[in-house]
Amino acid sequence: MTIFKPGLVHAPVTPFRADQSIDYDAFARLIEFHLGNGADALALPMPEGEDMSLTDPEKRELLEFAIGRVNGRVPVIAHVSDAGTALAVARAVHAEKAGAAAIVSHPPYFWHPKPAMVVEHLTQIGRAVGLPLFIFNPPVESAGTPLTSETALELVERLPNLAGVVDSSFDWVFMAEVISNARRTRPEFQLLPGAEFIVSATVLGGGGAFSPLSGIAPRLVRRLYELCEGEKFIEARPLQEKIAALNHAVKEAGASGLKDGLAGIKAAMTLMGRACGVPRPPVRALDQAGRTKFVAAIAGIAFLKDEPQGW
Amino acid sequence: MAITLKGVMQAPVTPLKDDFSFDGKGFEKMVDFHVRNGAPAIAWPHHKAESLNLTIAERKLGAEIAVKTAAKRVPVSIFVGTLSEEDSLDLARHAQKIGADLILTISPYCRRPAQEEIYDSIVRIGTNTDLPLLTYNSPWRNGEGVEFTSELTARLIERLPNYIGMKDASFHSQKFLDISRVALNMRPGFSIIIGVEHLLAAYPLGACGSFSSSGAIAPNLCNRFFAALVANDWAAARECQYKISRLWRLFKEQYPSSLKGAMIMMGRPVGPTRPPLPTATKERIEFLREQLDQLGILQTEPQGW
Repeated sequence: MTIFKPGLVHAPVTPFRADQSIDYDAFARLIEFHLGNGADALALPMPEGEDMSLTDPEKRELLEFAIGRVNGRVPVIAHVSDAGTALAVARAVHAEKAGAAAIVSHPPYFWHPKPAMVVEHLTQIGRAVGLPLFIFNPPVESAGTPLTSETALELVERLPNLAGVVDSSFDWVFMAEVISNARRTRPEFQLLPGAEFIVSATVLGGGGAFSPLSGIAPRLVRRLYELCEGEKFIEARPLQEKIAALNHAVKEAGASGLKDGLAGIKAAMTLMGRACGVPRPPVRALDQAGRTKFVAAIAGIAFLKDEPQGW
Repeated sequence: MAITLKGVMQAPVTPLKDDFSFDGKGFEKMVDFHVRNGAPAIAWPHHKAESLNLTIAERKLGAEIAVKTAAKRVPVSIFVGTLSEEDSLDLARHAQKIGADLILTISPYCRRPAQEEIYDSIVRIGTNTDLPLLTYNSPWRNGEGVEFTSELTARLIERLPNYIGMKDASFHSQKFLDISRVALNMRPGFSIIIGVEHLLAAYPLGACGSFSSSGAIAPNLCNRFFAALVANDWAAARECQYKISRLWRLFKEQYPSSLKGAMIMMGRPVGPTRPPLPTATKERIEFLREQLDQLGILQTEPQGW
């Protein structure tokens, strides 16, 4: 069996119209933009695609739409995370039927489950499909429950289709423990950072990356990714610092107590000439003062002038 | 004199006698062991040295022994973080008086200080001494701990000419980069030292070294690790990092009891650990022996003093 290695995975936002319905015209353009600007694969709807704010039917429709539009040009990875195990399992089964290339899923939202419950939840999702499964260590604040290295290693024992971890904890201790231990029993085990902190994850033994900022700055993300894949970590440092500055500006914008960056990403997309609307409530769009501050912060990020404008 | 900090720097444990009293002679041997085994700097008393379980008088005595034993062969950093800022100011003045090369500090723990409070605290300590100063970034999950954000770090660099570096215990790509991209740009040569052990992820991004936990057991591994990093031999560095990470996993349980327990089988007994921390049991020591044997540490690292 060939091993599915996702490479550089773009994580698109979900565009909304003014009435908060999904804007499929913009989404079709956005998919073409990602495919034309360095995506080896797409993953959706990731947290940056506001998965939690979409209804179950919308998530299914969005995935089917994307798979139809992509039409085999790159693999499409389906993100299925939910509070309830049955809900997540049903969407994983749907994603496989719809033609997804892999599943990514994190510990259940909200319940703050004990480790054994997390193992059971993710095991049921993994066993429901024949697709490769990537378990997701979410930003701890948003999902409520981190994925521990112990949990991840137990899942390696249980799930032959567990391909690796997508890590948004950005925690070096977790990364080193997971990858060094998992590879002792599963040498092809993968680790991908859940955002563009690619140098540290790759030098620790990871490969590939998920990219939520690729809608804003796909060129720099691609160059950073390629330097890291070539183990040119020292050369990658200035690029990594630039993308970290963009990440900082995006995350600091908006009213989110989680610093989830949703308002910032969409505001930046608009500034780059690729308007995708604003986030769905309860996430707030930037207010006037926040917008002024954000525009100034983005204007100070020089490399964005070299990134594509418009679609 | 400008000091250069780089490499895997050693933070000695504090040897205690069987009655739990401070073992000054043992501490001399410990510092000398590290210097002879390639430590590029000595840093004491970190948590590994049971700092918060020592009296202020013991911390001063230990600082004197460290400076005297290192005898300018390598720089000595004295940690002055305490529960009370008055004690930190006192320890900072003392460190300067006895000829330490630099101090490491943090705003008093256990109060969840606001960014403004950390700023005030570090400025008070930093302007109270002429020594170069490192701060200790110790964010915990959910906003606890003492966190130096990039904004706070930038303000402190502007305010304090003697602010030369950061011990970073975030172990976190985003937090590290937020500090490094600002600090290394504002003050070239700013020393970011990972505390402890997880240097591989940070070295390509400009970290100059780490404070070591495992160095009392495996100094050769520490030195081999840093040499691989300098040579950009990432495969070799990764192998060392994985091994060091496994050691850290063994030692972090009831830190530093397990570390002190493991030192017995390296022929460098350093006595018990002060309560409320437990002293490693016979069973724990036997478990550690098996693990160190499997890792090849017993076979490749120095035995005795």
